[in-house]
Amino acid sequence: MRRNIDILIWVFTLLIMGAGLIALYSASYHNVRVSNEVFYDQQMFAVVGILIIYLLSRVDYRFFFDAAYIFYGLNVILLVLVLVAGRHALGATRWFTFAGISFQPSEPAKLALILVLARYFAGRRPSVSLNDKDFHGGLWQDLMVPLLITGVPMLLIFKQPDLGTSLLFFGICFIMLFTSGLEYKYLLGLSACCLTALPFAWHILKDYQKDRLLVFLNPNIDPMGAGYTIIQSKIAIGSGRFFGKGWLGGTQNQLNFLPERHTDFIFSVIGEEWGLLGTLAVVSFYFVLIYCGLKIAEQVKDKFGMQLAIGIVGILTLQATINIGMVLGLCPVVGLTLPLMSYGRSSFMIFVIMIGLLLSLSKRRTIF
Amino acid sequence: MRLKIVRIITVFLFIVLALDLIYIQAFQGRKYFGLSVNNRIRVIPLEGQRGRIFDRNGEVLVENRLSFNVTVIPQDVRNQEALFSFLSQVLNVDQKRLVARFQQKRHTPFAPVAVVEDIDQRTAMILEENKFRFPGLYIQENFRRWYPQGEVGAHVLGYVGKIDSAKVEKLKDYGYSQQSIVGYSGIEEYYDQYLKGVEGGVQIEVNSRGQQVRLLGIREPERGEDLQLTIDSRIQKAAYDALAGSHGVIVVMDLDSGEILGLVSSPGFDPNIFSDEKRGREKGALILDSAAPLLNRAIKGQYPPGSVFKTVMAVAGLSTGKITTKTSFHCPGFYQLGRRRFRCTHVHYDQNIVQGLGHSCNVFFYNTGVLLGPDNIHRYAQMFGFGEKTQIDLPAEEVGQVPSRALRKKNNSDWYKGDTLNFSIGQGDILVTPIQVVRLMATLARSGQVPQPHLLKTIGDQPFVKLSAVKALKVDAAVFDIVHKGMRMAIADEHGTARLLDMKGFEIYGKTGTAQTVPTKDTHAWFAGYNLSGSKRVAFCVFLEYGGSSYYAVRVAQTFLKTLREQNIL
Repeated sequence: MRRNIDILIWVFTLLIMGAGLIALYSASYHNVRVSNEVFYDQQMFAVVGILIIYLLSRVDYRFFFDAAYIFYGLNVILLVLVLVAGRHALGATRWFTFAGISFQPSEPAKLALILVLARYFAGRRPSVSLNDKDFHGGLWQDLMVPLLITGVPMLLIFKQPDLGTSLLFFGICFIMLFTSGLEYKYLLGLSACCLTALPFAWHILKDYQKDRLLVFLNPNIDPMGAGYTIIQSKIAIGSGRFFGKGWLGGTQNQLNFLPERHTDFIFSVIGEEWGLLGTLAVVSFYFVLIYCGLKIAEQVKDKFGMQLAIGIVGILTLQATINIGMVLGLCPVVGLTLPLMSYGRSSFMIFVIMIGLLLSLSKRRTIF
Repeated sequence: MRLKIVRIITVFLFIVLALDLIYIQAFQGRKYFGLSVNNRIRVIPLEGQRGRIFDRNGEVLVENRLSFNVTVIPQDVRNQEALFSFLSQVLNVDQKRLVARFQQKRHTPFAPVAVVEDIDQRTAMILEENKFRFPGLYIQENFRRWYPQGEVGAHVLGYVGKIDSAKVEKLKDYGYSQQSIVGYSGIEEYYDQYLKGVEGGVQIEVNSRGQQVRLLGIREPERGEDLQLTIDSRIQKAAYDALAGSHGVIVVMDLDSGEILGLVSSPGFDPNIFSDEKRGREKGALILDSAAPLLNRAIKGQYPPGSVFKTVMAVAGLSTGKITTKTSFHCPGFYQLGRRRFRCTHVHYDQNIVQGLGHSCNVFFYNTGVLLGPDNIHRYAQMFGFGEKTQIDLPAEEVGQVPSRALRKKNNSDWYKGDTLNFSIGQGDILVTPIQVVRLMATLARSGQVPQPHLLKTIGDQPFVKLSAVKALKVDAAVFDIVHKGMRMAIADEHGTARLLDMKGFEIYGKTGTAQTVPTKDTHAWFAGYNLSGSKRVAFCVFLEYGGSSYYAVRVAQTFLKTLREQNIL
């Protein structure tokens, strides 16, 4: 049973990486807009990534329990630093160059957040029981502290500005609060607060962020501007029909009609060149992977492990569904990558680490 | 428990994604596939040149002139400020206006915007030489319809313009599109299907910036057919000059073949206005002009024929036997009907048929009309083609109107004897077009052989099937001999109504007409006839709208014929 889940996770992680590499190769094939270095880069990272997964799967995850607060603290410092001294690109300061390697501190921050929240919830209630009603700690301890922990990096990332990732942080926090056994009255109260805050949040948004949201509601407002990406992406996916236009045969892709197709819109390349067959395959890869993660979360015997697994599964689920929903025009374009497929070193490495952690959790879930 | 909820939500999210993928790729796949093809394939239309039009002697009536437009492709522009300040200097146009036009007309980054149209060749050369300094600047070559003779041939030739939506609907199965240039009125409209070039195109694959990636295919445009008309542009010019701007018509037809040698309706218009976008204001003025310069009076103007109709009356009277050469009526200067007097122009005393025609005696024809009765007159008028189209190859010809008792009844009124009298001298309800009158003259000259008036001589190198003498009237040739005498008398007799035309070298037969119009306006002046001397036998008609007495029409005819003779055309 245990081995089966491990094998499934390995197989589907590799399938997803493989599909990503195939799409990246096509997206950068003989193209002036997207250099083929993108493909070779990702290929190298995949090899390194597999090594990392293997190593992490052998490490006791409780090491991360100990390191959680330090990791979190370091990340917050990095997020502050990136705002002060980060590289400016595409109208946002998200990148850092450190020892010749540029990376995005908001990516490790995802991991840091999961770790620190998992540890916090585990520390609050070291019990193995999930339904223990006696352990409620009240509004402050159960809700406000986790919100604060999430809020600090979330605000820093919102400031970059990166609306998508900061909302993702909130989503993760919400899921982990939910599985932590937070009372329903608090969950409902939190949801109500968020809803009433929405109109005010609108005014904090930058113009281009508002545009993206409006365009999501109706891409034809500005078909050559903000709506362009969604329209072209839908055309790419739809035109793939059942069997796709064939590898390297996607005209939307090869003729540069698809912007950002090696990063956020990699799924459109799959859709155009591999058709419904390809997209359903990729969606099912993610589904199996996530389902395995949930199984681990159910079987893991300690609270930290369970919350960590939920955090990882949650981030995978949110990013995969929001990204695919985004290229299909079901969600606004918020700039979240497709886990393990999109090009992007920081993002790729963080997901690799998360898969490694999942395997590590899986190995040790019967320890107690 | 809560993990189960998380699992259910996860499964739900993935089902939603899968369903949407199935919807977009399986159910809407065809639509999106079409969109992706449209995205990458562009067809750049190549205009097929319209055929040219020549006159019978090979002189150019219509051709296509190269014109140059200044265009700018937005995405290629590096320095907009420098480009427009340069253009403004060379073209001598305010820079702000250029920029405004550019902003207003640009739609996509890759579509060329015509900033200034139809610049002269020298300016085009200057711009062409400096093109490399200003990326985004292009000189586009176009063909523009050009009518070298301007107003002279306007009504025969027609003009061209952008197709209107009603026409597109009607003609889209025949290779016309929204961008088509089509002929309006005249030969341009009537033979549009021959003149029209076949549009070609280049099919290219483009990338997201609209830049060409590869050439997929090319179809060369085809030039439309050249047409040769029966028109003689010298006759056309002489007619135009003879009318000298007064409202009226001159039509000349080779009476043996039915070929129209000249057809001028005045006032005219310059067809070049319609192919020049800069002259939009003049176009508007033409349409609103109360003198109706766009109206081809020769085929669409409907007028009472006046005394010209007496030729029909003569044929009717003689061939029905109601009158003979021996019949004579006394003209005291009027015809008494009850208490009303129907006037004649003079006191003619005793008149026979030949004299009646020659002097245009109303009383003679009042009497003839009374003998014939309205039904007979109606029958003969119809026999000579009044009330129906001549089928000349021009669009939208009018039929005129031949009154009858049946028509009266339909309008709930009665036919009175006075109506018969009016009818007999071409007044009252009868309306004819000048082209019908010309055909009448040719029919009389050919003793009942009715030629088919037409304008087209050849299409491409194919001679057009000649349509002459399509119909012969069942009237005794002897009847026509008598009518000829009367018509000759109008010119040759010292009291003839068209004595002015008794010129050396001409053998003219004819009939004048002074047709009453509304009481406040002047009469219409007619002269219609034929000339039998010279290299060609021609039938012709001079008509002056509200031109006064027929004398003026005769005078115009005289000037016109003299000019032709001086130039050795007839």
